[in-house]
Amino acid sequence: MWGGGPPAHADGVHQDVLDLARLQFGLTAAGHFLFVALTLGLGTIVAVLQTRATLTRRPEDDRQVRFWGQLYVINYAVGIVTGLVMEFQFGMAWSGLTHEAGNILGASLAVETLVAFFVESTFLGLWIFGWHRLGRWAHLATIWVVVLTAYLSAYWILVSNGFLNHPVGYGSEDGTLVLTDPAAVLTNPAALLPLVHILAGALLTAGFLMAGISAYHLFRRTAEADFFRRGLRTGVYVAAPALLAAAVSGGLQFAALASFQPMKSAVFGGRAAEVARVQAELTSRFGPGDYIPSEGWTQGGGLVMLISFGLMMYLCFAGVILAAFRKVVLRFRLWHLVLMASVPLPYLAMTGGWVFREAGRQPWVVYGLLRTEDAVSDLSPGTMRLSLTVFATLFLLLAVLNGWLMARHARRGPDDPGLGRDERAAGDSPPVPATPLSRY
Amino acid sequence: METLAVVLLACCVTGWFVLAGTDIGSGMLLPWLGRGDAERRLVLASFAPFFLGNEVWLVATAGVLVGCFPALEGELLSGQAPVLVALLAGWIVRDAGLWSRGRGPGPRWRAACDAAVTVGSWAVALSWGLLLAALLTGRPYEPAAGPVAVVAAPAVAALFAAHGLGFASLRLTGAPYQRARRLVGRAGRPWHPLALTAVLLGGLPLWAGTALPLAERAASAGTLALLVLALAVVTPLLVAVQAWVWYAFRGRVTGPSYL
Repeated sequence: MWGGGPPAHADGVHQDVLDLARLQFGLTAAGHFLFVALTLGLGTIVAVLQTRATLTRRPEDDRQVRFWGQLYVINYAVGIVTGLVMEFQFGMAWSGLTHEAGNILGASLAVETLVAFFVESTFLGLWIFGWHRLGRWAHLATIWVVVLTAYLSAYWILVSNGFLNHPVGYGSEDGTLVLTDPAAVLTNPAALLPLVHILAGALLTAGFLMAGISAYHLFRRTAEADFFRRGLRTGVYVAAPALLAAAVSGGLQFAALASFQPMKSAVFGGRAAEVARVQAELTSRFGPGDYIPSEGWTQGGGLVMLISFGLMMYLCFAGVILAAFRKVVLRFRLWHLVLMASVPLPYLAMTGGWVFREAGRQPWVVYGLLRTEDAVSDLSPGTMRLSLTVFATLFLLLAVLNGWLMARHARRGPDDPGLGRDERAAGDSPPVPATPLSRY
Repeated sequence: METLAVVLLACCVTGWFVLAGTDIGSGMLLPWLGRGDAERRLVLASFAPFFLGNEVWLVATAGVLVGCFPALEGELLSGQAPVLVALLAGWIVRDAGLWSRGRGPGPRWRAACDAAVTVGSWAVALSWGLLLAALLTGRPYEPAAGPVAVVAAPAVAALFAAHGLGFASLRLTGAPYQRARRLVGRAGRPWHPLALTAVLLGGLPLWAGTALPLAERAASAGTLALLVLALAVVTPLLVAVQAWVWYAFRGRVTGPSYL
């Protein structure tokens, strides 16, 4: 149980399983999030583009929706299948977590699946397959439902994660945690601040991707100069305010850290005296143990995040000014190259920030209540190794597949993407003899 | 509240077997129903608008399990971890094949994606056979082994395939339709085979679920009161939305879709 004493099992076999399970969670969560971040941001942009296209009814607006929407769908699909592993992984590899904290953590995960993801997925299907079948306005409504439920999904996941980082609204009954104050759990500052931070980061990711892909076409001087001039400007003007929002919400989290998780703060700052003081304080509260997270991961993650942020700040600052001049957008090829090269920056920043957040709170899985080593399932090392090998391989292949398909689509440009193609008129549909009754 | 939680769980798992069973089964039979690129694309189009909405029922099942029966979920899922690895791997491979088929280049790429869909669908169906065998033999916390597993896995997979076949005979047109129709036979009304497999496939997890001590292992009362209430309110809405999707795409498919 939590609250003191040495770990229940300290043998080597257990250590193996623990390390492998942590590696699996780290790799799959980081992998999943790469896709999620772009999905959240690009979805919002596509919904706005489609709103405009629905209002103006101009074919060139429609092309914007279909081109960026196709990228969105390619990426979304990988986000979904990687998310499946996340959903089941808690029970498979971390049964101690659902056993001890399931009354709170399980509930927010359950609401996420039914209230948010279920609706999101159903409406995504309607949006993709409903082109030319639903009315214009009904079709527009479906993409907005997808985007808003995706935000809702992010909120519920962060309620879960916020509880792990800064548990509130709980009591203890027969050795397990119970929910005592739902409102406190739902308004946990450790959930709400990261929500703003992540939504801003998602828009930032989408903005940089749009600008990068547009820059590629402008650099190559393809026939679609006008189309991608718009894309580049949209990307830059989405990224700049998003970066600001991400910085502010990130700064506020740093400020809160001193009281929520003083150890993370001290390790990141490299303040040895403070680390020793917090270690002594935690030892007196929870019994003897090592309460210092890995310095390498905590500082490394934080630094990667801050350096990427710094670079993006310069790019956004310059971009906002440069994008105001039509000729610069079309002809400044050095800038085009820089924009293409900077597409990975938001990904680096987010992965770094996430490593900082999660590695920095070790040795706790639920801060101050449950140690990571006490949460891992009682699996055999063989099973854990199999699981890690299978999922790591699949995730790597999915990432490569996603990158390749997106690059392929991006390179081909906006001429008739698969998404939104009117298949009723398509010439490649086979002639259909012997059609049976259309009703059952 | 415990009873309502059990009902919600039953709803979700039955929903998955009956609805997703159609696209899992069709995916398993893809090489037989469709000969050649265009025909296979037609078979995929028969369930394309539904499969995304179908698979969320299993995600929802896991959600209700972790929310309403958290400690049990942990024991069950960690006990069945090797089978679940196979199930998830099959699911991922299958979905990756479905989503990527129309996006890559050339007939070879599409043939590879079709193979991924078929292999993945079989993996999902066979894994479920193993899971159900473990539950039905009263040993829910360890993977099924021995003769029971050898019998149950192909039997459950065959049931999935039959369900897919019934669905295909109602949705398809042209040559794939003729193939499905030949296998289904002409006894009874056209929808009878699908209804029969739906009852069998939907009943199977309910029967298997009786092996789990659900009522005794529910979450604490405070959590359950809020959670079950919230889920019970939204579930009818979810069902209504899905019913609308099935209604919107009710006609037989005559041409390809986005996939």
